[in-house]
Amino acid sequence: MNVTAKLRETIRELFSADKVDVFLAWEEGSLPMSSTPLFITDGAQADRAIFDPRCGNNLSVYFTKDSRQFRGKRVGIAVKGCDARSLVLNIQENQVLRDMVVIVGVPCNGVIDGKKIRRRTGGKQVTEVMENGDSVTLKGPEFSITLDRSEVLSSSCLRCVHPDATEYDVFLGEARAEVGNENRRKALDEVEALSSAQRWERTRKEYEKCIRCYACRNVCPSCYCSECFVDQNDPQWIGGTCDVTDTVIFHLIRNLHVAGRCVECGACARACPMDIDLLLLNLKTAEEIKKRFGDTAGIRIDGRPVMAEFREDEKQEFIMG
Amino acid sequence: MSEWQPRILAILCNWCSYAGADLAGVSRIQYPPNIRVVRVPCSGRVDPLFILKSLQAGFDGVLVSGCHPGDCHYISGNYVARRRFAILKPLLEFVGIEPDRVQFSWISAGEGERFATVVTKVVEDVRKLGPSKRIVKKA
Amino acid sequence: MYRLDKGRFDEFIRLLGREYRTYAPVRTAGRTGFAIVDSAGMIDTDVLVTDMSPKEIFFPPSETLFRYGRNGIKTDEVPERPIAVWGIRSCDVRSLSMLDRVFGSAVQMPEDDRFKDPYWNHRYGSSLLFGSACIDPSPTCFCNWFGGGPFNKDGMDVFTVDAGEYYLLEPVSGKGQEFIGGLACLAPAGESELDLVSAIAAEAASRMPEEEDLKEAGRKLSDIFDEPVWSELSAKCVNCGACTFCCPTCHCFDIQDESQGSEGRRVRIWDSCMFPIFTREASGHNPRALSKERVRQRIMHKYSYSLENYGEFLCTGCGRCVLVCPVNLDIRDVLRRLLHYRAEGKCNG
Repeated sequence: MNVTAKLRETIRELFSADKVDVFLAWEEGSLPMSSTPLFITDGAQADRAIFDPRCGNNLSVYFTKDSRQFRGKRVGIAVKGCDARSLVLNIQENQVLRDMVVIVGVPCNGVIDGKKIRRRTGGKQVTEVMENGDSVTLKGPEFSITLDRSEVLSSSCLRCVHPDATEYDVFLGEARAEVGNENRRKALDEVEALSSAQRWERTRKEYEKCIRCYACRNVCPSCYCSECFVDQNDPQWIGGTCDVTDTVIFHLIRNLHVAGRCVECGACARACPMDIDLLLLNLKTAEEIKKRFGDTAGIRIDGRPVMAEFREDEKQEFIMG
Repeated sequence: MSEWQPRILAILCNWCSYAGADLAGVSRIQYPPNIRVVRVPCSGRVDPLFILKSLQAGFDGVLVSGCHPGDCHYISGNYVARRRFAILKPLLEFVGIEPDRVQFSWISAGEGERFATVVTKVVEDVRKLGPSKRIVKKA
Repeated sequence: MYRLDKGRFDEFIRLLGREYRTYAPVRTAGRTGFAIVDSAGMIDTDVLVTDMSPKEIFFPPSETLFRYGRNGIKTDEVPERPIAVWGIRSCDVRSLSMLDRVFGSAVQMPEDDRFKDPYWNHRYGSSLLFGSACIDPSPTCFCNWFGGGPFNKDGMDVFTVDAGEYYLLEPVSGKGQEFIGGLACLAPAGESELDLVSAIAAEAASRMPEEEDLKEAGRKLSDIFDEPVWSELSAKCVNCGACTFCCPTCHCFDIQDESQGSEGRRVRIWDSCMFPIFTREASGHNPRALSKERVRQRIMHKYSYSLENYGEFLCTGCGRCVLVCPVNLDIRDVLRRLLHYRAEGKCNG
């Protein structure tokens, strides 16, 4: 039985045992290689649910968005490793009650970034996408391209170390533990090999593209302040323009607000209409936090977000002597 | 023609570094006049946004100073601040903002001498870097 | 109809550049948008719908309106050469005509200049638009729902067709005729070339999706304003502004003052009805506090209010929002669902 079939089966069981009021999963999207969030309220709708590499959306976001539409409901949710970490973080921060959710883990081998496909095909019409082991074939009316899977995977997946859920009630398969990933260090090394001036040049080029649509913020399950710092206007801390200093400050501060809380699901990068590599800053901060405080966001359900904690004897070599 | 002088914002905790600055003053200890002081109730009050906003507005450097570990007026404000600064500094360096432009120190109310030394050091570090250009808004 | 051999395309672009600041689709690190070009080599001639719409040429994401200080108010100097755009698609040209009704010369109240936007007018009023026929419409194209089509020429100055070895140029406006009339790099097109164009046009038209009947859209949408369907439809929207910022017709903006000391500037920046702060009042009350209300506003504005205000839809079917939506909330599905709501829903009547 494939994962989709198992997922549908599980959803049906949860509804027939009256364990959930709503179940969050994915269904077929309107574009080739796309999926869209699905909110199931009746076991009879279970057959619409799917899980495959198209299912990039981190559904945990729906617990924390301002409408809070699932408050007071018993919610079942299908989660990849990263989505599960988001949920754990939300539980740590008392945004979600553990006994109100049924967590169904799905085995994940990475999700495909639709934008990367469009880049590779120059925006041409793709009617069919076929996966075959490590390669992916894109077909359109007048072309067919075969690519290595790594060329179309979301960049978060290429740097992933926890592919499967660490917290779940049901897991549809065998959950893997932490895996090694050299891509993380490689991505940081590329920048760290540059001089300070070159780094700024790189940052400037990247963040000049930002149009302040806040898709990154809004798809992020860790971004749930009822009033975001960019929306505060009395006093207004940060300019609303696309001047690169404004956009850099927005992204740096957002990065620091999700420091120790970012689970690196990559939702921000996939949502960015301007293709900014938003994850790189988060990766840097996550690595720094791991190095200094030995913690990774969203792993321990009984833990607390790392930036809300401290130890008295921490290293403080950056403080002037 | 006078030579370029760095402008530095010093964000000081009310209970220690601000009093330290006061002590340096009343003790007539000389330190460079390049700093403008903002008093905050605790180093834990310092949002990294304050630091970035200062740089954006054209300050050439920012010094944040609070109480020594264990001495926080509010028990743990400086510990939380320390974690924040611990990740802010490498992040700024990563994106290409010169690390010496943003500095942190612990100065108690009794350390007038130390306040002068720290300010002198920060001013000299920033002077070496020259005027800040990267994250300054010139719209 | 004129023929422009691709061998002479660069010459043409350089000629255009003498009189105009010429914008064309450009690809940078895989991403496409309109940028100033000075040679044909810089242009991406393959891209159909650019990631960012050409709206940003005429209505930039952030622009300085004026600067102020102790010595009074002054505006930035504006470039004298007018704007030309090469390779703009029919949907985008039509969206600019629509925006002109909001900002520019087409503002209703022709006798009153106070409501015309000088920043927009300066750019758009003297522009020269070389529209480009869509040979190969994409699956996200639905301009035919709104009276458009891959070979629609509305609002263009010159209509161009990529015919393989050469471009065919057809002047649409007097301004267009004036510019291309005497150019040495153009040759009159012959009978066979015109036949080719009709063949390409027929092929392109056949690729368009089935049309949706939007005749009664305005009324149908107002009728269901209070129905629960809006909550269902908006449930998965995360209220980011990607759709509105990539949209060629969305034109809401915010005006902010940026002051430092005694100097400052007033800037206009894009805003979005998706953001809660867009409607939040000084008292703290927000008339569109819920996601449902904001999604409904966007749909109503595009497909209902705009009909009352301007007599046309505020959507040209370019499909950008379909592509960028992070949760794949496809506006075509939303519209179909809403327009058929009465017929299939429980409120049938």
